[in-house]
Amino acid sequence: MQNTLNRIEQMHDSSLFTAAVFDQAESERIGVSNYSYWRSTFRTFFKSKLVIALVALMAAILLMSFLYPLFSKVDPTKVSTRSRNWNLRPSWDHLFGTDTLGRDIFARAWYGCRNSFLLAFCIALSDVGIGMIAGAIWGYNRKLDPIMIELYNIMTNIPSTVYLVLLAYIMNTSYLTLFISMASRGWIVEARFFRNRILSIRDSEYNIASRCLGTPMFRIATRNIIPQIISLIIMEAALCIPYSIGSEVFLGFVGVGMPVDAITLGNMVNQGRASFTLHPYQMLLPTAVLCLITVAFYIIGNRFADASDPRNHL
Amino acid sequence: MKEHKGPLLLAAKDIVVKFNLRGQELTAIRGASLDVYEGETVAIVGESGSGKSVFTKTFIGMLDANGKVEGGELLFHGEDMTRYDTENQWLKVRGKKIAMVFQDPMTSLNPVRMIGEQIAEVIIWHFHKSHDEAKKETVELLTKVGIDEPERRYRQYPGEFSGGMRQRVVIAAAIACRPEILICDEPTTALDVTVQAQVLNLIKALQREMGMSVVFITHDLGVVANVADWMAVMYAGKIIEYGEVGEVFHQPEHPYTKALLRSLPQLGVKGHDLYAIQGTPPNLFKEIRGDAFAPRNPDAMKIDFLEEAPAFPVSETHWARTWLLSPQAKAFREALIKKEAETRSVQTPALPFDYEQAEPLLSVRDLSVHFKLGSSRVKAVDHVTFDIYKGETLSLVGESGSGKTTIGRAIMSIYTGNVEGDISFKGRKINRKLNKKERGKLHMEIQMIFQDPMASLNDRAKVDYIISEGLYNYHLFENEQDRLAKVEKMLAEVGLTSDFMTRFPHEFSGGQRQRIGIARSLVMNPDFVVADEPISALDVSIRAQVINLLNRMKKERGLTYLFIAHDLSAVRFISDRIAVIYRGRLVELATCEELFSRPLHPYTKALLSAAPYPDPDVEKNKAVLSYHPERESREGKEWIEAFPFHFLYATREEAEKYVHENI
Repeated sequence: MQNTLNRIEQMHDSSLFTAAVFDQAESERIGVSNYSYWRSTFRTFFKSKLVIALVALMAAILLMSFLYPLFSKVDPTKVSTRSRNWNLRPSWDHLFGTDTLGRDIFARAWYGCRNSFLLAFCIALSDVGIGMIAGAIWGYNRKLDPIMIELYNIMTNIPSTVYLVLLAYIMNTSYLTLFISMASRGWIVEARFFRNRILSIRDSEYNIASRCLGTPMFRIATRNIIPQIISLIIMEAALCIPYSIGSEVFLGFVGVGMPVDAITLGNMVNQGRASFTLHPYQMLLPTAVLCLITVAFYIIGNRFADASDPRNHL
Repeated sequence: MKEHKGPLLLAAKDIVVKFNLRGQELTAIRGASLDVYEGETVAIVGESGSGKSVFTKTFIGMLDANGKVEGGELLFHGEDMTRYDTENQWLKVRGKKIAMVFQDPMTSLNPVRMIGEQIAEVIIWHFHKSHDEAKKETVELLTKVGIDEPERRYRQYPGEFSGGMRQRVVIAAAIACRPEILICDEPTTALDVTVQAQVLNLIKALQREMGMSVVFITHDLGVVANVADWMAVMYAGKIIEYGEVGEVFHQPEHPYTKALLRSLPQLGVKGHDLYAIQGTPPNLFKEIRGDAFAPRNPDAMKIDFLEEAPAFPVSETHWARTWLLSPQAKAFREALIKKEAETRSVQTPALPFDYEQAEPLLSVRDLSVHFKLGSSRVKAVDHVTFDIYKGETLSLVGESGSGKTTIGRAIMSIYTGNVEGDISFKGRKINRKLNKKERGKLHMEIQMIFQDPMASLNDRAKVDYIISEGLYNYHLFENEQDRLAKVEKMLAEVGLTSDFMTRFPHEFSGGQRQRIGIARSLVMNPDFVVADEPISALDVSIRAQVINLLNRMKKERGLTYLFIAHDLSAVRFISDRIAVIYRGRLVELATCEELFSRPLHPYTKALLSAAPYPDPDVEKNKAVLSYHPERESREGKEWIEAFPFHFLYATREEAEKYVHENI
């Protein structure tokens, strides 16, 4: 031991053994944490190659379905009277071929995507929007519990197909009918989801702190609650879109969807079905587009849900 | 001098553990060494983030997936366990030779399986015994850890057990394989003091009976004094001082250990500032040069910033990593000791609060609060009556679930509909429907400080908004500049700089967050503050800072506090009067010194005897009293003034008996 001490003594200048200056700011310094909720969420989200590919694909499809109708000169409703234009196989002139009336399926697919997307966006907006507001009110009022739970039970226990078919049957077929029949039901599921989430953060200490400071309800909602659940809102909306598109296709398929002259993915699948045995591509190609969109949105929504959970931010 | 009781069992040498966190490398353990001898208890003390849990987890190969041991060796029975690379090798050691008890008993037990089956499973797995044999052994184990009616308890589920009982079950499962080393990771932190004392006694008894070695991780120096033979102080991933427990307590050498022991509220003098450790624990993402504690040590030497000290021996059973022990620092060290002696001697305690002339600020009369739990009604607070006088600090002490927080929240009018009785502030009743103006005025007069600094700040809002929240609500500022000036001034008062304003709460340490929470309440300029366990979630090195801050604010702003706590050491330092609450009922109320010198109610006595005291000589010889509510009469209790200003909830005869016992 003595040896080591001697060695240390030789190594160090004795002026080092005097008082150092104490810096208050240095003692409080926290190494700046590099954590940011959104940055981590997106980093986790885009870590997977599949997600990057799907997001790029969806962006492309979305862009295409809204840009194509603006720039293309092909009229998707143009019916040909000459039978040689009917039921053409896919070729360079008609990438997806033509249907029994000689209409270009490729063009129709984009118009259909656009219309189906628009409908789905509207439904997602109303479901999540109304659902969130209703859920917040429900979460903050215990007294609403019995009524809302009954309503929820009734609305979710009727099979959705029966409900949709019934409503679509009663009213005239149109976009509005379709919107009403889907939106009138979807919000309650979202409301219950958000009610549960809000209930779990309603009594958290920082909300109680805000109440002790007399913060009005509106600011508690916008500053304390919505920022906490914004990622859930995005996720729910993303999952709502494939569901709405799927429902539209289903209604078209059973014959109570849109009027025949409207171009939607549902109508295209339905019309292709009639000639499926002779010309399978007429149904398969629109269905493929449909599958791609729904599957991609489901995967993106679920991956986003995982990524937005701080526990997965490694 | 003390000798080791048995041979060396486990030797950890220069362990380095690194974690990969969000693409950044974090060095959690920076070369820590520890020896565990047979039949002894080593306590590792350190604050959260010091790496004490991670260090012991390497002993059983249970690091999280993103961490790994990058250096050092772990010798156990001559085998280096850092070389283990298959799970099978670990299974021979983990649970069988080295077992672990975790902090939260609820997370280490499966809630949907019977208690007994969970223990029996361990026995079957490790010893390949039949189910009946295992069951028999389990019943024996349950008896051993002090669980009554083990046969019946065997078939119960964790939900039917109290916290302390659950921890006993976890201990039973851990000792089922007769391990050589039992690692206890803060096993009593989540428990009430009275239960904590029982569990500590159980661990000590089991150790003696089975000849185990125990590695005890804790942040509570009182607990260390109680259980340990040896103690190791850990700071920023390194053991900085190690020695026989008495030696370290009575002659600490490292500045951090010294500061830790000096900052304990038990040693504080009333009316004066506690000795507080400055600053914030270091961040392990950065490379640490020299002594990790140096930036927080006002008496650091230049060399502390440059180079790390070797382990200088103090005696044969005590060493510390500080340059102060180097022969070259002799002059500096002597000057330091002299300076310390000077500052320590001159303090005289402040005069006790004068109750003869005090005027009540807040009166609580017959307050009851009940909650609906399914179809039954639970009374959380049961006819509680007390006054708080202007300028005093009244502490409300009780175990978890006793209703102390509920009283605080009832005063803050957080509950609606389930509160009975009267709460009046400055003579006005406040637990009724108030109009907007009255409610607003009240928010400016009464504020609350919360327990958990992690949960009480909205982590999606910037510090600027968090502190301004109250200002916005009542528009207490003239213009944007005025508001910013107010926020800056408040931040400065709690010891934070203005460039923290644009940051988010998650960038701060627990103590800094708590100070932000205090700033948020005090920016409203209240007269009365409900402080709901403001220090119980903080690190020991930070507590003194926050206690001092609260005391200074009280003096400067003439505040009155209702201080809710379960930690008696801090209560004694901070309060003028103490109210003890048990199961929603106040059982005793007296001035601070009176209550500590002359406790009357048996529950108060049990509470006082169970509180750990940070001195091994005192702690090792103390007797813990237990409280038996069934021995008291159920009827005819009243609020009796046994001595002047000393109240007691009991029957007349009981009160007489209690008073008699104390003369």
